[in-house]
Amino acid sequence: MNANFLELKGLHKSFGNITALNNVSLNVSKGEVIFIIGPSGCGKSTLLRAVNWLTPPDKGEVWLEGNQVGSSSSKLTIKESRLLNDFRAKMGMVFQQFNVWPHLNVLENVVRAQMVVAKRSRVSAESKALKILDEVGLNNKIDDWPEYLSGGQKQRLAIARTLAMDPILMLLDEPTSALDPELVGEVLKVLKRLVNNGMTMLIVTHELGFASEFGDRLLFMDGGELIEEGNPKKILSMPKTKRLESFLKKLHINSFKH
Amino acid sequence: MKFDISYTLDAIPRLLDGAFITLQVGILGFILSVLLATTITVAKTSLNSKIFNSILAFYISFIRGTPILVQIFLVYYVLPVFGLNLGPFTAGIVAITLNSSAFVTEILRGGLASVPNGQFEASKSLGISGYVLWRKIILPQTFITSIPPLVNEFTMVLKATALLSLITVVELMRVSQQIYSANYHPVEVLSGTFVIYFLICFVVSRSSVFLENRLKVKRA
Repeated sequence: MNANFLELKGLHKSFGNITALNNVSLNVSKGEVIFIIGPSGCGKSTLLRAVNWLTPPDKGEVWLEGNQVGSSSSKLTIKESRLLNDFRAKMGMVFQQFNVWPHLNVLENVVRAQMVVAKRSRVSAESKALKILDEVGLNNKIDDWPEYLSGGQKQRLAIARTLAMDPILMLLDEPTSALDPELVGEVLKVLKRLVNNGMTMLIVTHELGFASEFGDRLLFMDGGELIEEGNPKKILSMPKTKRLESFLKKLHINSFKH
Repeated sequence: MKFDISYTLDAIPRLLDGAFITLQVGILGFILSVLLATTITVAKTSLNSKIFNSILAFYISFIRGTPILVQIFLVYYVLPVFGLNLGPFTAGIVAITLNSSAFVTEILRGGLASVPNGQFEASKSLGISGYVLWRKIILPQTFITSIPPLVNEFTMVLKATALLSLITVVELMRVSQQIYSANYHPVEVLSGTFVIYFLICFVVSRSSVFLENRLKVKRA
């Protein structure tokens, strides 16, 4: 395994007087599946968004396959922002709110970025899109408009859209949090497939069962800092820190309420 | 007084010629104003500059706070003082464009506000940015939600072109005046004018429904 596949070095980010990231460093190997948990506002989403420079960190560096993403300062030069598009296309991002394009039908959602970013011809973009839509189980929906899809279908479409760019890394920001409970399963099924295909993934989630079954590593964040990390099964059953212990307790109490 | 419809019917061919000019000025002015307003909207969002925004705010409040007739006279009579001599047709289009673009900018501002920030983020995360991001993702969504007010603004522009008769643009209103000042039958002639204006605007406002259905806009 190549431990330098993705390197985050001393990431710092604050919004006003709130510190979202406080000196976060992380090394990710190729093929590793990392889950990130933590209380709301702990900086876990900011961490994912710093990786593809959607939220540029104030300090710190991001390196992908030995190349620096973004810049060492939060401002980018013109050349750096051009390069950034290539990096971003390699790092597929999936959002809690799906963010599929409502003005394009299902097929076109998956075709568009392939044509304008990867400069593929319509024929090859469409054949790739059809293959991926088949994999995520939307092959009977290709002419539909996103507004007529369920949440689970929208999220599978969003995943298909990023997969079409042949990402080498996936960043998933609470991919199942906006879904009705009975729709979570269909999205997890698609994600499991990605895990089995060896995709490197950073996943912010509250699905602890999923995390302990498929995660290579689990990170617990609080107050913008990495508090604890390790094998998901191990640290979920025997948390080393008080903060993780009390966080897990709260989650369990909440799950009994359901 | 007796209403003699033959005066209306006799006037119709010339009125239609005038209506053709009305449509030319209206369509050209509106297209230019949409182009200008789109450029302003994109520039405003991407520049995020205080100076640009205050100039824009001044421009919009100037246009909204003064009668369009005054603006038309300003372009036609005052610009020549500075050596810019425009013919009535061009001056009319310039005035209509400058006026309408302020309103279209406000319409597009509303449409853009209805595009969630996530649309920008999802596109950027796929490597789409700059011109392509606007052209392929953001502006189509902005325009789809803006169709009803844009169509409304277009009918306002078409009606406002009647004021151009006062700077001697030979459009529908001017032609009507020419006809009834020769035959002294303003009621019959203006009835024809009235119906033609109404038909044009009726067709335009119905097109909103057609466009929305075509673009599959789901009305909330």
